[in-house]
Amino acid sequence: MTAVEEPFIVAKNLTITYELHRERKKLVALQDINLEIKKGEFLVLVGPSGCGKTSFINAVSGLVPKSEGSVTVSGKEVTGPGPDRAMVFQDYALFPWRTVEANVRLPFELQDLGLSAAEKHDRVKKSLELVDLIGFEKSFPYELSGGMKQRVGIARALVTSPDILLADEPFAAIDAMTREAMQGELERIVMETGQTCIFITHSIDEAILLGDRVAVISYRPGKVKEIVEIDFPRPRMNNSEVKTSKKYAELRDHIWNLVKDEATQTNRGE
Amino acid sequence: MPRSKSVINTQFETDDPNRIQDVGWTFKEVWRRSRGFVVTSVNLTIFFILWEIATVYGDINQLFLPKASAMFGELWTGLTTRAPEGAVFSGSILDHFLHSFKNLMIGLGIACLIGVPGGLLMGGNKYIESILSPYVWALASLPRIALVPLFILFLGFTTKMQVTIIVLSAVFPIIINSWAGVKTTEKSLLAAARVFGANRRQLYIKVVLPYTLPFIISGIQQGIGRGLIGVVIAELFGGSKGLGYLIQRSADTFNTAMTFAVLLLLIIMSLSLVNFTRWLEGYVAPWRNSNHL
Repeated sequence: MTAVEEPFIVAKNLTITYELHRERKKLVALQDINLEIKKGEFLVLVGPSGCGKTSFINAVSGLVPKSEGSVTVSGKEVTGPGPDRAMVFQDYALFPWRTVEANVRLPFELQDLGLSAAEKHDRVKKSLELVDLIGFEKSFPYELSGGMKQRVGIARALVTSPDILLADEPFAAIDAMTREAMQGELERIVMETGQTCIFITHSIDEAILLGDRVAVISYRPGKVKEIVEIDFPRPRMNNSEVKTSKKYAELRDHIWNLVKDEATQTNRGE
Repeated sequence: MPRSKSVINTQFETDDPNRIQDVGWTFKEVWRRSRGFVVTSVNLTIFFILWEIATVYGDINQLFLPKASAMFGELWTGLTTRAPEGAVFSGSILDHFLHSFKNLMIGLGIACLIGVPGGLLMGGNKYIESILSPYVWALASLPRIALVPLFILFLGFTTKMQVTIIVLSAVFPIIINSWAGVKTTEKSLLAAARVFGANRRQLYIKVVLPYTLPFIISGIQQGIGRGLIGVVIAELFGGSKGLGYLIQRSADTFNTAMTFAVLLLLIIMSLSLVNFTRWLEGYVAPWRNSNHL
């Protein structure tokens, strides 16, 4: 992952509030977030549940309107979803009435990217190849295991060759063994495509193994508490030296200490 | 594209196409598939034989419980004969059945034409929802039988009256189910569609409508049951044709075998229609897998 030095995604004083209609109150999900993400960078967000990580990713995707501040992608203000950004969801968000192939093709049906039918077909095939789902084109999501479902989700996100891949706890619902395999695949895919990636997780190990930088978000209102640089060489997944190294243990400990206070606050419901 | 497949992944190859293998037709497989049908057939045969034995050898008044064979006899002759031209009353079950079935189908058709778009609009637009929902809930909670005298007053003892009762009986489950379907459309599917560029119209056509389709079908399924109640009630109250009338008439003339025959026919008709919609539901929405009841 070669990072070009100019910032690609910039969040400036980003604040996101939600109105709680019933209680006539406003919930400040994110406050004054300043983040710069370089092209080709893999940024991981960690933090306790409800700290606003998802709000940040939704602001970048354009799903959630920002209350104050700005988010720009290559200098342009984000006002809504666009084909330069794609998302992988925690609960897969696959359309149960569509086959694997039709699910992956969906982005092409919803927006006109000026591609011919043959090109679209090629892209779908290539995308399914990338996540190893050849032979399952005609299967329906309910016939697949959790890991395979999420691979469909990843294929769908990759099919338009977006510059930015947003992932909201994509492996949270997947069992531990499949999860490790999927992390390896994601690392491989992002290395191949050179995409910029914003990735949310609750797993510190996942954060260290995948991220170029790990941003720790504090609890309510969400602020960037610290950004930790991770400079292990890639690919890290098959490299047993990474996980057993002293530096890994130190990083893990450091991030855990940052997250711990926040997590205990969440448990007390403060 | 260079493939640097991870070592971990090759150990857990879950997507090998050879993983799905042909099982073939073994005796066990045939039995597994036909088990339900065989068990039900045997069950029903024993039931009717016991019924027959009880009525032939037991001391039971034929007026209360006719012989099973007499009931089947009435059903058979009733379904294979037509009334002569110009007859005022016909004992032909087929004539009455066709009358009732036609009314039911017309009534269900109208109920769908009102209920499906109505429910979709209520689910999709909160203004329409807040305007219509009090009327829908009010009429849906009112026992529809209470309206029959009123519609006899409005429309007389006519087919129009009967169809109106059927529509009123069947339309509300269809409205409420379609409405609920739109309302419960999974948020993450809507978010996914929006991320990948869907506009408002595409959200409805590509997400909400397919998601709601099984809800609509189960609404129609409930509508069939209610509609059938509507058919019988409307004909019991007023009319000189239809299965409801035939039940009344045969009971009045002490022809209990005929009454039972019509009841059996109603059961068969209702079950066939409900099973058809269940099959349809499973066909359009296999992922819901809800029809194992």
